Amino acid sequence: MFLAIHHLCKSFDNNVILDNIQLTLNQGQTLSILGKSGCGKTTFLKTIAGLLRQDQGTIILEHNDISTQPPQQREAVYIYQQPLLFPHLSVYENIAFGLHLRKISPSVIREKTMAMLDDLELVAHAQKMPEVLSGGQRQRVSFGRALIIAPKLLLLDEPFGALDTETRTSMQVFFKKMAKQHQITAIFVTHDLKEAVLMGDNLALMERGQIHVYDHLEAFIQDSRTGMNQEIKFWKTLFRND
Amino acid sequence: MKKIVVFLLILVFLSPFAYFIVASVAVNYRFPLLWPEGWTMDNWQQIFRTNNGLFDSVFTSLLISVVTAAVSTSAGFVISKTLAYHTKRSLFNILAYLPYSFSPVIYAYCLYFFFNKSQLSGHIVGVLLAQFILTFPFSIILFLNHWNTELKAVEELTYTLGGSVTQAWRRVIIPMSKSILLLCFFQTFLISWFEYGLTSVIGLGKVHTLTIKVYQYIGESNLGFAALASCLLVFPPLILLWFNRHFMLANNNQYA
Repeated sequence: MFLAIHHLCKSFDNNVILDNIQLTLNQGQTLSILGKSGCGKTTFLKTIAGLLRQDQGTIILEHNDISTQPPQQREAVYIYQQPLLFPHLSVYENIAFGLHLRKISPSVIREKTMAMLDDLELVAHAQKMPEVLSGGQRQRVSFGRALIIAPKLLLLDEPFGALDTETRTSMQVFFKKMAKQHQITAIFVTHDLKEAVLMGDNLALMERGQIHVYDHLEAFIQDSRTGMNQEIKFWKTLFRND
Repeated sequence: MKKIVVFLLILVFLSPFAYFIVASVAVNYRFPLLWPEGWTMDNWQQIFRTNNGLFDSVFTSLLISVVTAAVSTSAGFVISKTLAYHTKRSLFNILAYLPYSFSPVIYAYCLYFFFNKSQLSGHIVGVLLAQFILTFPFSIILFLNHWNTELKAVEELTYTLGGSVTQAWRRVIIPMSKSILLLCFFQTFLISWFEYGLTSVIGLGKVHTLTIKVYQYIGESNLGFAALASCLLVFPPLILLWFNRHFMLANNNQYA
């Protein structure tokens, strides 16, 4: 398994946030985790990223135990709901940021950044500052900044939550394209049912600090806790009434 | 009408400065004379004469203010980060206001014993330390609100992108905080530059800053020198104000 999490536990002031989480994920696959606000999604992702330290449990990424490694060494990039672009850097500099940190030669940085800008369809905006970009463009820059360093794992914390419906849909299509193109292994958490189904190769539900991974889509639909069945019934009823 | 009001306001604001300049070059300019009997540059030429110590006091004031502002800004910036993300953040915020809850002179007398015991009173290092004790809480108050969840998230993001702590500070945190760092340096410089009570008590009159000189000349009824010292007292902050505005605007335009 590319990613294996065993018995992961985390508490804050005696409040159990992550309760013995176990999951596995294959390389190049996206695991969608559906969960309501406060179910522990952010804590889960931050623990994998190394931004929080787990109380118990191990995280194995590509056969390496990264449980005690600092975030800098984990090669797991955490993407927030907000794009969090560096306001003092241009689009080009934002995307090239991770490469500059690694002190790669300027010619390679330029080549890789231009290729990424092309992938992101942002070549025309390369020299612009983040403030003049639209919400969707900013989030694309945020993705580009993460993907350019070829991380082993992408951790996406409701990345499209702050976007309007239309931009959100286009970003979902964009992410699917990029995930396929760059062979991304990702954990995508969302509270949006449709988005969870659309984005994930695998589906999971997070509830009260525990994660239940489904073997197939049918099992996800049949579980009343996901709300999927009710959603399908709602649309069926609506069309029947028409 | 609006233009007249603006003109009057500018006049009111500038007239004390104009008066300082006039009084510093005036001969026999005493009440009730509306205009001086003559003009002289003698007072200004005195700056570079070693016996009156005016040039030395400008240098001393500049040294104390620049060092105090630089140290309190940098220390305040780093330490406030730890305090801001601490669970007792509000308590630290209240404590930072404590030195401003009573007058600097009373505060100075409270500290005097410790400075005297450590043989720092009457010494420039003692004045520096005393002014730092006054300006440091100010920088803490200023920076506490700067450290917010967004800045923390940006810092964490830098780590997951592979950045070390040093890289995060150098490439992200400091550039993103440039405006507030300049603002804090400017404000703490001003606090230190115009500080009188604490300096006179801890300095025991031996550390001759420009403010001490102004009061000394006023005490001696030396109008020309007092006006000259006041001019010298006002001009560096004006230059710094222009410098600060220039860089702040450049910084803001960069983000626009």
